[in-house]
Amino acid sequence: MRYSFFRGCFIPVRLPHIEMLAMKLLPEFGVELAPVEGFTCCPEPIGFTVNHPLTGLAVSARNLSLAEEQGHDIITLCNGCTYTLKLANETLKSDLELRNKVNKLLSETGHQYRGTVKVRHFAEVLVDTVGLDKVNKKAEMPLEGLKVASHTGCHLLSPPEVMGFDDPQVPVKLDLMMEAIGATALDYSYKTQCCGWTLRNYGDRNASYTLLGDKLRAMRSAGADSVNVVCPQCLNQFDTGQMMAGRALKLDFKLPALFYLQYLALAMGYSLDEVWYRRHKVKDPGFEEKLGRILA
Amino acid sequence: MVINTRYLARTFHGLEEAAEICLKCGVCCVVKGYGCPAQYDGQFTPRHTYVYDCLGHDDPTSNPNIWQCVSCHKCEEMCPYEVSPVAFIEAMKIWALEEGHAPDSIIGEIEQVVNTGYAFPLTANTERQRQQLGLEPIRANENLKAIAKETGLLELLGRHRK
Repeated sequence: MRYSFFRGCFIPVRLPHIEMLAMKLLPEFGVELAPVEGFTCCPEPIGFTVNHPLTGLAVSARNLSLAEEQGHDIITLCNGCTYTLKLANETLKSDLELRNKVNKLLSETGHQYRGTVKVRHFAEVLVDTVGLDKVNKKAEMPLEGLKVASHTGCHLLSPPEVMGFDDPQVPVKLDLMMEAIGATALDYSYKTQCCGWTLRNYGDRNASYTLLGDKLRAMRSAGADSVNVVCPQCLNQFDTGQMMAGRALKLDFKLPALFYLQYLALAMGYSLDEVWYRRHKVKDPGFEEKLGRILA
Repeated sequence: MVINTRYLARTFHGLEEAAEICLKCGVCCVVKGYGCPAQYDGQFTPRHTYVYDCLGHDDPTSNPNIWQCVSCHKCEEMCPYEVSPVAFIEAMKIWALEEGHAPDSIIGEIEQVVNTGYAFPLTANTERQRQQLGLEPIRANENLKAIAKETGLLELLGRHRK
């Protein structure tokens, strides 16, 4: 399985440790990441594509055409990139008039969109292509006893007819991914509510804190030791956002958030230091101690 | 719901009509665990929800609240009458950008993408961390300016630059 590796923006710029882990871990499951020269921002859906769709589509088409020239499907590490590129791919495949218009815009760049590749989120690849039985076999240090609240994130779920990953109202795949590496997956209220990252960055900051507070309290009540996400913006919200919301709301607990690849690495024998947990803003001694006991 | 978009000036593929069948049941916004995240803004209540505010505004494109929408699609998934508030709000954003009502955070991000190929600023700190992790340096990509020129986006940004 060879994929054109779409790193996106947020991960390389703000969370490079996730990029490093993807490059180390995914090949162990037979997922080869082919570097692509010239990929740009997907572009970011809410700040860019929604507001000027023609430019957004053309930029996405340019990215998709680079993968087409390489001859591989795209693999992403981000819900936003997946949302933008899947929607653009779907639109350009079905609307020939628009495709011609976009290709005309691209003509000076030397690329043309042909509609020959698929876009896959790494979670989709792990669950649907690699298979969780293989993930389970690699988890030599299963995270037994660790209680994890998973948050799938809006833009990997909706609209479901395009995203095709999981049920937007009853998502289960992230729970299965956590169970495959030995952890206990928790159900909690507010499970499908947004993380609030977009609201914090483009809308009302305080509304985003209140929302995040509701989610975190629900996770905590369900007994969570930590949070699991598969999107860099969600990670930033549950980490930096939690630090800010914690101050604003005077939360009396901390719930560390890790990207799934970090949990996977831990289950494959990496230490907390090696997954760059120390780089995170929200750290909790209780979580560290429990994980230490599990991995001992 | 009575909506006040300027029908004669422009239509959005039947979106106004779809918005008009909104019965103001409130399901899209009042179900806290699942519904609209923007409803968390303290100015909205079950009687005046975020979605009513956007659909029923006197001049929807100049309503600053449209920019709170995160395009999570929860409103359209919850709606029992197949209204798609998100599609309506997104259409208003397009129009608002053209008319110069987009907030600085949006303009700044669009310019950042067009000029560098990245939506988030590249910093020296990032480069240090990438080096420590053994990752290749990030290079800005200026190929998107040509596309933005062709689509009229550059001209639009120039027109509204303060």
